[in-house]
Amino acid sequence: MNYEFKYKDEVVSVDLTDGKIASFNDGEKQLQFEFRSEGRIYLRDGNMAKEVCAVIDGDKTFVDIDGLLFEFAVPSEDASGSGEGGLASDPSRLFAPMPGKIVKLLVEIGDTVSDKLQVVIVEAMKMENIVIAKASGTVKAINFAEGDQCDIETPLIELELADD
Amino acid sequence: MLFNKVLIANRGEIAVRIIHACRTLGISTVTVYSTADKDAVHTMMGDEAYEIGPPSPLESYLCIEKIIEVAKKSGADAIHPGYGFLAENPNFASACAANKIAFIGPSAEAILLMGNKVESRKKMVSVGVPLIPGMKDEGKSLAEFVKAADEAGYPVLIKAAAGGGGKGMRVVNEPADLETAVEGAKREAKSAFGDDTVYLEKYIVDPRHIEFQVMADSHGNVVHVFERECSIQRRHQKIVEETPSTAVTDELRIEMGKAAVEVTKAADYVGAGTIEFLLDKSGKFYFLEMNTRIQVEHPVTEEVTGVDLVAEQIRIASGYELSDHFKNLTQRGHSIECRIYAEDASNNFMPSIGKILLYREPTGPGVRVDSGVRQGSEVGIDYDPIMAKLVVWGEDRETACARMIKALKEYKILGLRHSVKYLSDIIAHPKFVSGETYTDFIERNFSDWDDGASELLETAVGAAAIAGANYRPAGNQSGAGDASVFDPWRETGNWQIGESVK
Repeated sequence: MNYEFKYKDEVVSVDLTDGKIASFNDGEKQLQFEFRSEGRIYLRDGNMAKEVCAVIDGDKTFVDIDGLLFEFAVPSEDASGSGEGGLASDPSRLFAPMPGKIVKLLVEIGDTVSDKLQVVIVEAMKMENIVIAKASGTVKAINFAEGDQCDIETPLIELELADD
Repeated sequence: MLFNKVLIANRGEIAVRIIHACRTLGISTVTVYSTADKDAVHTMMGDEAYEIGPPSPLESYLCIEKIIEVAKKSGADAIHPGYGFLAENPNFASACAANKIAFIGPSAEAILLMGNKVESRKKMVSVGVPLIPGMKDEGKSLAEFVKAADEAGYPVLIKAAAGGGGKGMRVVNEPADLETAVEGAKREAKSAFGDDTVYLEKYIVDPRHIEFQVMADSHGNVVHVFERECSIQRRHQKIVEETPSTAVTDELRIEMGKAAVEVTKAADYVGAGTIEFLLDKSGKFYFLEMNTRIQVEHPVTEEVTGVDLVAEQIRIASGYELSDHFKNLTQRGHSIECRIYAEDASNNFMPSIGKILLYREPTGPGVRVDSGVRQGSEVGIDYDPIMAKLVVWGEDRETACARMIKALKEYKILGLRHSVKYLSDIIAHPKFVSGETYTDFIERNFSDWDDGASELLETAVGAAAIAGANYRPAGNQSGAGDASVFDPWRETGNWQIGESVK
């Protein structure tokens, strides 16, 4: 059976046989697992066994290997459509990482922004978090004022993307 | 007489830590919680729990009136503020006193004195504790800068009064460069902050953050409980702390410890406190400030000395003299603490929120976890994202480091982003191993940190697929549970406690 997982921007495909052998690249690489519980999955190689944890929550899967955390999403059919994956991957709309208070707006309507430029500072959990532009463009809308509470569904800033 | 009942005006891991200390002393506990913490670990753990308002700290954990009201209603004779929230609020200490409730901490006057940078520095000068040399005010003429630089000794640092982010900042190594540096710093300050006020202080080469734990009772006894090094910081917040410091020699420890005790006495201080110093490469140290509370990183001190600092705070507030252990303190072995935050180390330490879906703490010799979460806990947006502190002890630093890496690898927290791998890479870093831990350690060594995910991506994807293929959501079963799980209750047949069923 084939599974696909999205890690950051990369989609990784894996074939599973007998519910325990994972093959990559048409069988070029194979890994054997033993499932006991979500908290105890063992990577097996002969007598060697290594514990891995994996938990599924809705369309997210979290995996831990020795403290290193992976967060996988199910690849969406239509990347530009609605849903979290779609919103996050659209660089013309910048969202707060979590609900919080707008501390500072670092751009104004009409400003040109470049990739990685800091645009908004949002305070949540006692800390200031910087929202960074993911592409170059011109600020076309700012939907909050300094001091406003923001959610994660409304974009903070909307950009007119620059043509490459 | 010890208190009968202590109210804990805090949440999370420190509230849990205080409950442990109270229980050890046979004192019953009252917890307070906001609606966001209805099911939190600390809420469920105390002997009594009172809701004090909505999630916003201003309307709950910072609301003095509500907390005093709960203390009176529940009959608590003392309040422990933990750290953060109301811990260093003189008005809270005064409100406790006015209501005849003991505040487990110093007097309002001592909090006020140490909270005021100018006043506390004056006090330190009067008892001969060294401060970072430099100008008291802005420099007006070049002559003033030259004089101040000569007094402080080169290298010196020119800083913008409105400063931040390194703008308007210049390091000057020799007198010939002073004038150009002052001019440059002024220009930069003007354009960055619209204010060209600059001042001068001694530039500290390879600074370390070294702090001393002090304990003082109401009978005039003051001791220091050795140092902690807390140089590893991100976003100006400590993330790894250890004791002893690799930079503090036996002679230096005596000298700094003496200064710490002087500071404590000068402030007429009672309770647990921490004196923060900056230590430079040549072994010179400078007073920064005094924290008038129990510190997040207090466990490393407990691990190497065998004392319970929180229990001792409570004893001192009850009027007892310092325990005998504090009269013959020695440091044994080495201890390290890592703060486990819900944050994304690969994305500018952005706090992470969510539900902890799977949680497993590490175990083994020399491993201690002070935690405020459990499996199923929600980490929300309203509070500091610290989930737990992982503390290890080893007979030497090498053993402590090895135990820390082992324990971090065993620590399982799934469901949100956390700093466990980042911390593990810090402890394993050659510069950490060699003790080259200066306050810019993170900028210097971890600016291009890679979590190493690419090497393990296929293993992780394989495990994700295995979980998907075998996953059975809870409550989605028809019939009497999952037959593949061994359930001893199904094997016992008819039975009744104490006798056989007729």
